[in-house]
Amino acid sequence: MTPNVKRPRRKLVARPVTFSPFARSAAHLASAYMIKRQMIENKLHESCQHTPNGKCCGQRNIDETDSDSDEESSEGVVQADFAFFDPKPDDFHGVKTLVQTFLDNEEWNLSGFVDLILEQTTVGTVVKLEDEDDDGLFSVVTALNLGRYKASDIYMQLALELDHKCMKELEEYILSVCHESNLVEQLRLLFSKRARDVGLLVSQRVVNLPPQLLPPLYDALFDEVSWAVEDEPTEELRNSFRFKTYLIVTKIYKHKKANGKLEKKADNEEEPVIYVKAEDELFHELSSWSFSFPLKIQHVTSSEATEELRINGVGYGSRSRQNPHIPTAVALSDRR
Amino acid sequence: MATRLQFENNCEVGVFSKLTNAYCLVAIGGSESFYSIFETELADVIPVVKTSIGGTRIIGRLCAGNKNGLLVPHTTTDQELQHLRNSLPDSVVVQRIEERLSALGNCIACNDHVALAHTDLDRETEELIADVLGVEVFRQTIAGNILVGSYCALTNRGGLVHPHTSIEDLDELSTLLQVPLVAGTVNRGSEVIAAGMTVNDWTAFCGSDTTATELSVIESVFKLREAQPSAIVDKMRKSLIDSYV
Repeated sequence: MTPNVKRPRRKLVARPVTFSPFARSAAHLASAYMIKRQMIENKLHESCQHTPNGKCCGQRNIDETDSDSDEESSEGVVQADFAFFDPKPDDFHGVKTLVQTFLDNEEWNLSGFVDLILEQTTVGTVVKLEDEDDDGLFSVVTALNLGRYKASDIYMQLALELDHKCMKELEEYILSVCHESNLVEQLRLLFSKRARDVGLLVSQRVVNLPPQLLPPLYDALFDEVSWAVEDEPTEELRNSFRFKTYLIVTKIYKHKKANGKLEKKADNEEEPVIYVKAEDELFHELSSWSFSFPLKIQHVTSSEATEELRINGVGYGSRSRQNPHIPTAVALSDRR
Repeated sequence: MATRLQFENNCEVGVFSKLTNAYCLVAIGGSESFYSIFETELADVIPVVKTSIGGTRIIGRLCAGNKNGLLVPHTTTDQELQHLRNSLPDSVVVQRIEERLSALGNCIACNDHVALAHTDLDRETEELIADVLGVEVFRQTIAGNILVGSYCALTNRGGLVHPHTSIEDLDELSTLLQVPLVAGTVNRGSEVIAAGMTVNDWTAFCGSDTTATELSVIESVFKLREAQPSAIVDKMRKSLIDSYV
């Protein structure tokens, strides 16, 4: 029973594809102006019927942004159509680059982990450009069932010893960085007895990926999880996607507080925590528990960030049913 | 024999190390296991030297050398230069050169007899290469790429080049270099051969993503399977052995 699974394709006109730091900053500026410009254009369309004042304002604004965005847009704005694809073995190098810092600078079987991600073609999405022959990968999103990679008996244990070392190393790393004793016990349970119900949510992307892609991307992931529950060929596989808990490991910037001294710039208006990925803020709010740990790797950041913020990793788990932001997951848990 | 390893989760071992028949340079930082793998393989045969060049760890791509000498870019500090001169054998001449193209490892591919050079290299640099390294220099491209040092790994016994090199180019280069050449990849399809591996006459170190097929191609073209570090045995084999019964 293999129905026609319709992939939710979202073609979005998005900003630059270039990767140099200059192009990146030009991109940010350009996209900011383009979005503002679109908003103003919309307002103009709405208001032109109404008040002549509105129209004048709109036009003036457009002129302003026009002149500004012209300067920026002439320097490296590229139109691009992004498309979502199933993971393929050819995507190895792209996914590996994105997942490089998943466990900080820990040395582990990263290639094995990437292979596991690419094996799972039914759940998981990679974001590439529309035309098939370009190999540049911009984002990868997937959910891996932790229990699937555990050996159920001694023979499988010997066989899996070589292949799925990466999952063991990942679990050991998470256990080692968690310094809150009550959570360590919970984590141990999640990794052993309840591993079958745990999904590791892996979501990595390039820094300047247009945020308009994110809602469809996550919708796609959770849609695929619910389709997999119905459509997978074997009972075991179907059950492996009935996640009760999602585990997310991600990077945030935490405000450094120098002992006693108050930073001049810092204080109440400043955000205590800055989320690299916007959706992490929502996930964090909705999560059942979370902990943070300091990262050892040196990241390239703006000077203001390095002075004031400490880079942290955050792990959090969320029970699917409690997460209203992800309607399909809620539906899953209700069925049980 | 070819060994697979990685430097801090990165499979580009040719970037962080430089291997020749007389010495081996290894980048500082990275875990001790990276350094110790080189040590175990090369222990008593040649010195393994930890260094940086210009304060960076990408030493494999910045310097070019063979058993006769080592060329380092102008970005090398005096301390680093002194450290290299102290640690390397006396027979190896270490020379710092003033060249606009400072990534010498990307511009020069050489073995003990012949070198391929970037087409835009200065004339003085070309002469220095010929003097210090004791080689004959040819300005060439590989599959249309001018960075010959990146797309070719060369030893006295064979060479591995960019996978898209045409047959005619392969033949031409092979005649120039007087060694058998093969077009192939390393690290699961990476075309940048010299960044993904480092090799000398008897051993090779490749990134851990290198597939078994790639590894067997490497071992066969560089003739590593029957290789021994002792040069005497190899060269004198014919006169030592009268006949095989």
